[in-house]
Amino acid sequence: MSGPGRTVVEYGYGGNERLVMNMGPQHPSAHGVFRMILTLEGETIVDVDPVIGYLHRCHEKLGETLTYVQYPSIASKTDYVSAMTAELCYVRAAEQLGQIEVPKRAQYLRVMAAELQRVASHCLWLGTWCMDMGGALGGGATMFLYCFREREMILDLFEALTGARLLYGFHQVGGTRYDIPAGWADKARETVTHIEGRLAEYEALLEGNTIFLVRTQGVGVISRELAQEVGVSGPLLRGSGFAHDLRRVEPYSSYEEFAFDVPVETAGDCYARYRVRMQEFRQAIRIVRQALDGLPAGPISSRPGVKSIGQVKLPKGEAYARVESARGEVGIYLVSDGSTKPYRMKWRGASFSNLAVAGHILPGHKIADAVAILGSIDPVFGEVDR
Amino acid sequence: MPKPGVGTAFRMARAASAALAVTFRNLFRTPVTVHYPRVTRPYPDRFRGVLALTYDPETGEENCIGCRLCEFICPPQVIKVEMLKAEKRNYAKLFTLELYACEFCELCVQVCPTDAIIMLRTFDLAATDRRDLFLDKDRLHALGRQFPPSWATGTGLRAMQAPPARGGAKGEAAKDAAE
Amino acid sequence: MTDLLWTVGPPFLLLNGVLILVTYLTLLERKFAARLQSRVGPYEVGRPHGWLQPIADAVKLLLKEDIVPTAADRLVYNLAPIVFLVPAFLMYAAIPFARGWALADLDIGLVFVLAVSSLEVVGLFMCGWGSNNKYALLSAMRAVNQIISYEVPFILVALVPVVLTGSLRLSTIVDAQQGLLGWFVFYPVLGQLAFVAFVVVALASENRIPFDIVEAESELVAGFRVEYSGMKFALIQLAEFVHLFGVACLGTLLFLGGWLGPGPAALGPVWFVLKALLLFLLVIWIRWSFIRIRVDQILALSWKVFLPASVALLLAAAAVVAASGGAGA
Repeated sequence: MSGPGRTVVEYGYGGNERLVMNMGPQHPSAHGVFRMILTLEGETIVDVDPVIGYLHRCHEKLGETLTYVQYPSIASKTDYVSAMTAELCYVRAAEQLGQIEVPKRAQYLRVMAAELQRVASHCLWLGTWCMDMGGALGGGATMFLYCFREREMILDLFEALTGARLLYGFHQVGGTRYDIPAGWADKARETVTHIEGRLAEYEALLEGNTIFLVRTQGVGVISRELAQEVGVSGPLLRGSGFAHDLRRVEPYSSYEEFAFDVPVETAGDCYARYRVRMQEFRQAIRIVRQALDGLPAGPISSRPGVKSIGQVKLPKGEAYARVESARGEVGIYLVSDGSTKPYRMKWRGASFSNLAVAGHILPGHKIADAVAILGSIDPVFGEVDR
Repeated sequence: MPKPGVGTAFRMARAASAALAVTFRNLFRTPVTVHYPRVTRPYPDRFRGVLALTYDPETGEENCIGCRLCEFICPPQVIKVEMLKAEKRNYAKLFTLELYACEFCELCVQVCPTDAIIMLRTFDLAATDRRDLFLDKDRLHALGRQFPPSWATGTGLRAMQAPPARGGAKGEAAKDAAE
Repeated sequence: MTDLLWTVGPPFLLLNGVLILVTYLTLLERKFAARLQSRVGPYEVGRPHGWLQPIADAVKLLLKEDIVPTAADRLVYNLAPIVFLVPAFLMYAAIPFARGWALADLDIGLVFVLAVSSLEVVGLFMCGWGSNNKYALLSAMRAVNQIISYEVPFILVALVPVVLTGSLRLSTIVDAQQGLLGWFVFYPVLGQLAFVAFVVVALASENRIPFDIVEAESELVAGFRVEYSGMKFALIQLAEFVHLFGVACLGTLLFLGGWLGPGPAALGPVWFVLKALLLFLLVIWIRWSFIRIRVDQILALSWKVFLPASVALLLAAAAVVAASGGAGA
């Protein structure tokens, strides 16, 4: 799509000449450092050249230098919006390698953390998406502040649980590091009930609103074939008609014991993805309630807590573990050489594959649609660039 | 674009008034702003704030034995310790912590065998010079005296995480720590 | 001497009064918007309600460096904010704040106000042209397109109360709205439709959300005022707010009964300003509740929906008046 020696043609008012315009890596569409070189014909995007790598922080190299007990505290920096699932993925890969059992209570705690994190992540997605579409000063900002107000409540829950608000360090190989404090379960129930009520308000603010519908329906359609070809996952896949959810297809961490629906829409446009995520909100809350009600007693880890840096030694081998994060399939491929550190760690970032679809669906749309589409893809660049 | 017509106009008007009603209702809710620094949020028990070194409450001695476990486990390697050997027990001759690079992951607290290093329930240590955030041993001890500590100590965390193993004793301890 | 005072005094008072009022309207917008969003708005400067915030902003903008781009057309660039500002203030000359309280209560008051307020477009285009910036020019052209497209429905809808009253003089229009239910906004069906259409069309010709794609350009490309900073930028912002408040005053006169209200006649101006503020708050409320419409959709809306609708409303008003025997000439 790109190469050296690309010529830039000045905009001509004849309308049939092409303008090459740069969007990013810093721009107010608050999605992170992402650069798109757009070729425009008038208002329509004709070609997209996405450039990534601005947030590369050498996570995969860090994975080789940090041990199995150190890395989970860092893992949340990849998908920092859906941090719990990122950590979960790493420890699951390590446990798979070492054939380590995880006690039931820890599994339920992990599920609860992951689902609460899903709610928080979708709150952030909705807020930033509306802000992109509505403007930093306008109705979009109102949605943004409402969503963040709700997200703060979940972050307060996590703060009471782990002590931190974004980089939790909640998981460790063999279980979790923290147990729930006294009174937390009630607080969590209150929070999810409160958020469920507010969801109805968000939908009232957006659905039925013709402006919103016109800007999202029929925009950014990912066809079934394209979804399969490019390898998207998560709400993008489920918005295009595939009922594929890793929590159902390959249940991990006791997900098979929870009753929840997997929302699927067939339209494949931004509106379909929006509907999928809104329903995922409710399903996640449902799972949290079940986890809270059915939380078994017992230990939270099958291995003693971290006492020294070389505590966890995994046998030689390879393992690939994947989880269903708010963005899609997040996976870690670990190769162990029998020591306390992995020999190789590879992240399969959900946003990396999801973002690849942007180059296919953006051409043909107007510039104003580009932000709506990018928002509905919901990329987090920590995951894309690692 | 939706087809023009009275039906569409009616639907649009209804949707518009629904949106306006949501924002209007919000006018009467208390704002969630916390007027920091005059008012501070109540920080939870386990808040992972600034680090500090502690003294033994009974003997008044420093808890740190200079074992360097925290130095080894720290992912960004911000802690530097030098052990001072003495007769009855060891001390830390040098203990520095680069707070500006600290990740606040609590791993150092987790591994400490004597509960010497802890985290405090405050984060507000703003400075204009980065060197003010290069905490040496005296500063760390002073901070420990100055601010309320967080719940987490090495033994507490390890007790919470302990597997059930032998009998139910450790498991019970874990449950008590969790309550 | 007293003659001079009487000639110069009222405009002086009016200009300064509007200036101060509009400056504090920015604070009102920020506080109102904040409350709509569960937050507090300006608080520190002039505790506890941010009373000094507009002053602080004005002082800050005054102290900024006056940058003129090298390639800009200096004369046009420097004149543009003034050309943008003057028609906005000129609008207030014909607006009566109470019976007998207009600088110039013209026979054709409404036409004067509408005509003068549409001169703003010239200033806007000068901003875009003088900047010598391709994106600013594009954005200015879009803005001009949008404002002109919405001028026609605006005028037609504003004529509905005129038809119902039979006069273009603004004070006569207000006098025809005696009694609470006499306000044209309460006129059965026609009044409500005309009022809603007025508000929507006014939003569009003000470049306010949900029609502010022109200003939102600044997030993707650039807006027409991108090359302006410091006091010139302040003048442009001020002009927009003054214009908006002027349109709110117009709406009050046309639909909300102007200065009429319970109590002695001396309270007239108070009621007037309160009602204009109410309209202003409505505009802010709408701004912070909706996301914006795409630019092609805005223009389509104007020509395909609002123009026929406003023509229909005007014809309906005329039919009603003719059927009831004609009200005035």
